[in-house]
Amino acid sequence: MTTNGTLQILVFFAVLVILAKPLGTYMAKVFLGERTFLHPVFGWLERLTYKMLGVKEDDDQPWTQYALSLLVFSGVTMLFTYAVLRLQGMLPLNPQHFDTKQMTSHLAFNTAASFTTNTNWQSYIPEVTMSYLSNMVALAIHNWCSAAVGIAVAVALVRGFARRSANGIGSFWVDVVRCTLYVLLPIAFVGALIYVSQGVPQNFLPYQAATTIEGGKQTIAMGPVASQEIIKQLGTNGGGFFNANSAHPFENPTPFTNFFTLVLIWSIPAAMTYMFGKIVGNVRQGWAIFGAMSVMFLVGAFICNYSEQSGNPHFTQLGVQAANMEGKEVRFGIPSSTLFATVPTGASCGAVNSLHDSYTPIGGMVPLFNMMTSEVIFGGVGAGLYGMLLYAILAVFIAGLMVGRTPEYLGKKIERFEVQMAMLAMIIFAGIVLVFTALAANLNLPKDGSLAAVNTYPGSAYGGSDTTYGPTTANLNNNGAHGFSEILYAYTEGAANNGSAFAGITANTPYYNFTLGFDMLLGRFLMLLPMLAIAGSLARKKWVPVTAGTFQTDNGTFVVLLIGVVIIIGALTFIPALALGPIVEHFQMLKGVTQ
Amino acid sequence: MQDLFYVTATVAFFALSILYTNWLEKLRKGAQDE
Repeated sequence: MTTNGTLQILVFFAVLVILAKPLGTYMAKVFLGERTFLHPVFGWLERLTYKMLGVKEDDDQPWTQYALSLLVFSGVTMLFTYAVLRLQGMLPLNPQHFDTKQMTSHLAFNTAASFTTNTNWQSYIPEVTMSYLSNMVALAIHNWCSAAVGIAVAVALVRGFARRSANGIGSFWVDVVRCTLYVLLPIAFVGALIYVSQGVPQNFLPYQAATTIEGGKQTIAMGPVASQEIIKQLGTNGGGFFNANSAHPFENPTPFTNFFTLVLIWSIPAAMTYMFGKIVGNVRQGWAIFGAMSVMFLVGAFICNYSEQSGNPHFTQLGVQAANMEGKEVRFGIPSSTLFATVPTGASCGAVNSLHDSYTPIGGMVPLFNMMTSEVIFGGVGAGLYGMLLYAILAVFIAGLMVGRTPEYLGKKIERFEVQMAMLAMIIFAGIVLVFTALAANLNLPKDGSLAAVNTYPGSAYGGSDTTYGPTTANLNNNGAHGFSEILYAYTEGAANNGSAFAGITANTPYYNFTLGFDMLLGRFLMLLPMLAIAGSLARKKWVPVTAGTFQTDNGTFVVLLIGVVIIIGALTFIPALALGPIVEHFQMLKGVTQ
Repeated sequence: MQDLFYVTATVAFFALSILYTNWLEKLRKGAQDE
């Protein structure tokens, strides 16, 4: 560990602690329907939006109606995105004339699923595929709305804990509108201006031709980057305007923007823990959740940094500096790269400023493990909090079993149904990841199959062949343990709705686009719905008064128990898969074995 | 033709998700009645 690395982690964490209380207090006010300092600015727009949607501010939906609204909204916007992407050749703001040659049907499906689910996995190269209109309308609508949907679900779950003998858990439409207008929009507006001040472009110019110092020709991509970049990070989306994502100097031009970006990604998730405490009437409960997340973050960040700083020991024996700089942007170095690997993978944000594929096996395992915990280390906007509350339900259930009492959490009895739903969400997540990984590691598709495994991107439009066929593993850059890690990472990030690229896998094929598309959809909606069902069930329950025998959930013991449950469930589920990938690769590295 | 396939797959997914919601509600009611 270097001083720089240690300081970056600690300063970042300190900023997060400072932000959590004021932002969390503000968010609690927004979602409790109280007046904030932004109501004079956005109040009229909020009321107008309700009028246009035909909803009332005091609507209260049972969980099934809340879920139905969410599904209809997501389904319709996903189809809209698919249509815009496929029709981009006929639509304006397309100076590079991209059309269906670049945006194939399977790629459009994958991209629409990806952005609808807040994943932002990109099977394509944005600057040679996506028109400005596609970026600003088809994709940006989800950057805003999928973030708002995630926050809305978390707020609904918190209401479930806070309410007593109630039928409803709030209104989906009101929550989404309030989140967009009072939380995302003001921060995004100021943040976009900060990005522009640091050199991030915001224009509609065609791509520029430049002559390099050596006399070579270079095309420099342009576009409305800042306005996309801000919501990409704030909404824990992660889909880059450029293929290099946050390693690109137009997306992340300075060390300040690198740090600012990391703060943006975790500002709302961290604040939501405090908001949770405020709404349930005990801020210590929120700090307990914050504490559990913090411990796991700090351990992961230090392991990742130490592993990359140590590098491959065989290089040290050769007298070469061991630190692993492969795949890292020289502008950022190891400290800023490893911190950037740890933070977005804890959140459901796919932003990367280095190639995780080039990390040491243990360094690369940290982001992978972050995602395998269902991203509860602060997590995505909303997703982190509701994921952690799911673990909290399991933790109090286990504690209840140990002491022989009916488990309670925040004055609500945790009974069969809540535990069933929590386990259902866990099993679904693990099942999706492991089944899709196993299939992709073994399939050899027939030559005339409609889901061909290998499709040489970018296909005939760029002088290559459109389709060749064969085993799904033919799309990997590596074989053996590292190749397996590439597949495992792809399906893990998909199901966890993270979207970051391990790299090393050519995913723009019918097979990968189709299966990853469903991986993302299943990972999002099949997990969200049990969460809402828990909210509905809890809201109906009566409050149980605290007695001397009540298990405390706002102290250090609970924090330790919660961390234990997260790690044990994550480890029990995924250790066998990790053993086949990064763990065996680590021992191969120590023995000097190459594949 | 391929567009039809992907649009149908999307609609089918969300329709099944609604059925899944109903099934979860049945489970909840069952647990509540016990």
